Amino acid sequence: MNKCIKIPLMALGGAGSVFAVLFTIYFFNLDMKFMATFIEPFLSRHYDRMPRNQYV
Amino acid sequence: MKKAETVYNSKKRKGDKQLGVLFNGGKVRRRREWRGLKDTLYDFGRWLYLWGIMADASVSRGFVQGMFRYRWMANYLAVPHMLDKFTMGMRDEPLRITHTAMDFVVKDVAQCIKNSLRGDRRTGKDKAYSDTCVLTDENAMTAFMMGFPMLNAILREVPCMFSANLLNQYSAMHYLDVAQEHGIPGDVCPMPEAEAGMSIDDDFPVLGKIAVQVNTTCDGSLMGNGLIAKRLEREYGIKTFQLVAPMRHKEEDVQEYAAQDIKNAIAFIEENMGVKWDWKAYFECAKRVNQTTRDRWEWLQINSTNYPQFIGSVFSLYNDTNYMGNCGRSAAFPPINEKIMKLVHQGYERKTMMAPEYRHRCIVWGVQPQYVIDMLYWMVNCWGVVPLTDMLSMVIDKEIAEEDTPENREQAYYDMAYLNENMIMRNRTHGGYKVLVDELWELCERMNADMVMMWEHMSCKALTGMHGQFEEQARERGIHLVWVCHDLCDPRVYTRQAIRDQFNEYMRTVMREEPLDPSIEVQPDDNAW
Amino acid sequence: MRDLKYLTYFENLLQEANNELIDQAKKDGKICVAYVCENTPEPLMNLGNAFGVRLFAPNTGSMDVATYYMTSLLCETTRALLERAIEGGYNFADCVIAPDGCTMMNRCVENMELLRTMGEGNDSFFHEYMEIPLKADENGVNLLVLQCKNHILKPLHEKYGIDISDASIRKAVEEHNEVCRIIREIGDMRKERKPRITGYEFHVLTLATYVAPKYLLIDKLRETLEELKTRKPDDTEYRARVAVVGSEVDDIGFIKVIEDTGAYVCADRFCFGSLPGRDVIELNDEEDALTQLCRSYVYRGQCPRVMNMEKVYGRKAYVNDIAKEYGADGIIYEQIKFCDPWAYEKTVGSVMLRDDYGYPVLSVDRPYNISSSVGQMRTRVQAFVESIEIKRLQGGAK
Repeated sequence: MNKCIKIPLMALGGAGSVFAVLFTIYFFNLDMKFMATFIEPFLSRHYDRMPRNQYV
Repeated sequence: MKKAETVYNSKKRKGDKQLGVLFNGGKVRRRREWRGLKDTLYDFGRWLYLWGIMADASVSRGFVQGMFRYRWMANYLAVPHMLDKFTMGMRDEPLRITHTAMDFVVKDVAQCIKNSLRGDRRTGKDKAYSDTCVLTDENAMTAFMMGFPMLNAILREVPCMFSANLLNQYSAMHYLDVAQEHGIPGDVCPMPEAEAGMSIDDDFPVLGKIAVQVNTTCDGSLMGNGLIAKRLEREYGIKTFQLVAPMRHKEEDVQEYAAQDIKNAIAFIEENMGVKWDWKAYFECAKRVNQTTRDRWEWLQINSTNYPQFIGSVFSLYNDTNYMGNCGRSAAFPPINEKIMKLVHQGYERKTMMAPEYRHRCIVWGVQPQYVIDMLYWMVNCWGVVPLTDMLSMVIDKEIAEEDTPENREQAYYDMAYLNENMIMRNRTHGGYKVLVDELWELCERMNADMVMMWEHMSCKALTGMHGQFEEQARERGIHLVWVCHDLCDPRVYTRQAIRDQFNEYMRTVMREEPLDPSIEVQPDDNAW
Repeated sequence: MRDLKYLTYFENLLQEANNELIDQAKKDGKICVAYVCENTPEPLMNLGNAFGVRLFAPNTGSMDVATYYMTSLLCETTRALLERAIEGGYNFADCVIAPDGCTMMNRCVENMELLRTMGEGNDSFFHEYMEIPLKADENGVNLLVLQCKNHILKPLHEKYGIDISDASIRKAVEEHNEVCRIIREIGDMRKERKPRITGYEFHVLTLATYVAPKYLLIDKLRETLEELKTRKPDDTEYRARVAVVGSEVDDIGFIKVIEDTGAYVCADRFCFGSLPGRDVIELNDEEDALTQLCRSYVYRGQCPRVMNMEKVYGRKAYVNDIAKEYGADGIIYEQIKFCDPWAYEKTVGSVMLRDDYGYPVLSVDRPYNISSSVGQMRTRVQAFVESIEIKRLQGGAK
């Protein structure tokens, strides 16, 4: 295939794949599910273990 | 009883019609809403933009350390979730208005986090920057900073407490527990109490050379400030000034007192920060304050028609951010206002609606938790009740002096005092019953409303102190008054569904109506962020 | 100790808001100025033909109607006052002056006004709301002067022809001071190791000076002072001497419950108390009386709503000072349930008095009428008293 056609097609295909991945993450709310399942519980445990200098 | 004319939507709604499919009882939604191709793609684009804002913030100075140091930071994982909440059921112009306004609020808060962490003594450790910062109250006008463009007003409670609560309904609970462990009772307003708890728990970023506190919204707020100032002064050596906002702010005979204290606050800042008040900057800000006032009233005017466009929590949040936190100091707001204005007019001309029908026109009054839940958008989608405006958005209508003349320089102190007195919420909860009760009925007339949804924040003594008067006067005027009790940022007292159920009950038993979207009459989001 | 000759008389005055001395003063043709907050300069209520009465609601039982108007989450003092007003218990008042001191008290009086609970048949009747300074500074003094002129003096003069001249104010201050001197002299007896007056008796006398016309009380107060000078104290020592600090105590039962546990209330830093409410107001001839009077109220006040940090720290230092002066072994911080200002003040005060000044501190909330919660309160105070005793036995400081 001609290089002039191949590169735009590859770029288009790449962009399309990125779009498909991102849109899937977006539509199925995978970003928030990931945060709620892994990151937030990890951070909460970390905060609970931290010593605090409480002062009124 | 009054009855609003039902307005029907001539356009068929694209995409999801039963919004209940989005919920499964978890922390987050099952999936995002399908709004038709065009609107879904638009929403997708804004989602990417939001992640862009968050990514930009995450590479700023002190951010990573801050994430591991401050408990409230974890709430910012939920920014996209918050936008899903506030765009529930939206299509066309209202979707774009909400995103334009709210995404800008997100950007503004992200900037505030960046600034707070940059100057923070524990994370960003930029002392030179910190020395240009003045800590100011979250729930107060920043008018006294309008003439100090060389300084940075840091409203550190905004990202730590207020915005965090928009993102995650549980965000304040830890701090409430800390405050109560140290003896503050559970019956005071949870907002200042959570702030006090945050101070006790040492979870505020520590920055700034000085702090200015205001007796913002209530006795609880005023008293919580003392506790916070004690730590600022005694442990961190940050000198605080207490700025007075008189209670009976409608009275002529308190204005001189208020203006004098503005002068005192400015003198305090000048003396401690080694800078001079800049009148040119002040009057530039004053122009923007006036523009904000005019824009807000124009949006309200459109909301008084059959086709309101800019409504709900985001209307209130955007106005709060622009009117109070910004108070004319940033030049970035007017272009956003312009964009919103264009969309509002376009939506009005196209008769865009947010639900298949609008059955009731509602004023939302009282101290609101509507940021925490998606109540106002839920009301439109579930029951066809349109929230035309809310108490916190009903602030000033008078313009302040904006030309730099010798007379206006003296007038400016009174104008700043006027703004300070009219910070959101307290301009209604204080100043006598007329501003809280009588003006509500005038507003119902002006906006042609047949219903008032009364947020009864059970710990707000200023509001509940007028409970009986509201009830009797609404009855006399033939206005449907729906009491919806809540405890602001403590979901253990009233869950989201317990809040919605009060509205459901009224609509079913008093109004004898059926929901437009029965799938969300009971919405399983009590565990959600 | 022998009973005080007039104790029952004073106690009886406190059984009803509309006591016999108010009745007598009204028959004398006097104008009754009702008020609701310690931040109101009291002598101004006693100008010329007027007499001031601070509203209270003794023996409150049900507060159902007031609870409908203000919900169950407002402080019981304000609900009790509203309930009493709705019942017609304050019909003796010719006007009500309400500083916007705390939100709940303001709402209470607004409800009184909207429900037209008082002033029936009296065309001159008025409600006035005042702004009270939030900081103790000269700006605050100027504000209070203006507020007093606009919301006390002007309406009293215009509606009832009360003499509001400087001379009249000076006379009222002097009469006020006379009561204060007597109360202070009696109060000073509480400093004795074996005091000649109980905290309860002192509270009864002090409270009466707030809720009854002073000119009709003064003779009996004088006589009581003389009687006390020769009164022989009991030989027994009290288990612990405590200073009571907090929101308004207009319920004589509360102090009685504390003292029934064997404690002695040696200092009363609460609204309706004598510290600083019965401090003498010194006037000079250089400045007008009103300004001096207002200045005295602005700077001496111990209300938690005053928010400048000098005052925030100063209030705790003041408690320490009186605790030292009156020989207190411990501090009881109390608040009426649902009171926002005292909820925070109590928390910070308890911590500071314990950590910065080294006192044992008991922190309690209470209902308006203690009779609904005597058992709970007694248990708390008993435990506190015992803890002080144990510390003393162990030789611990304070």
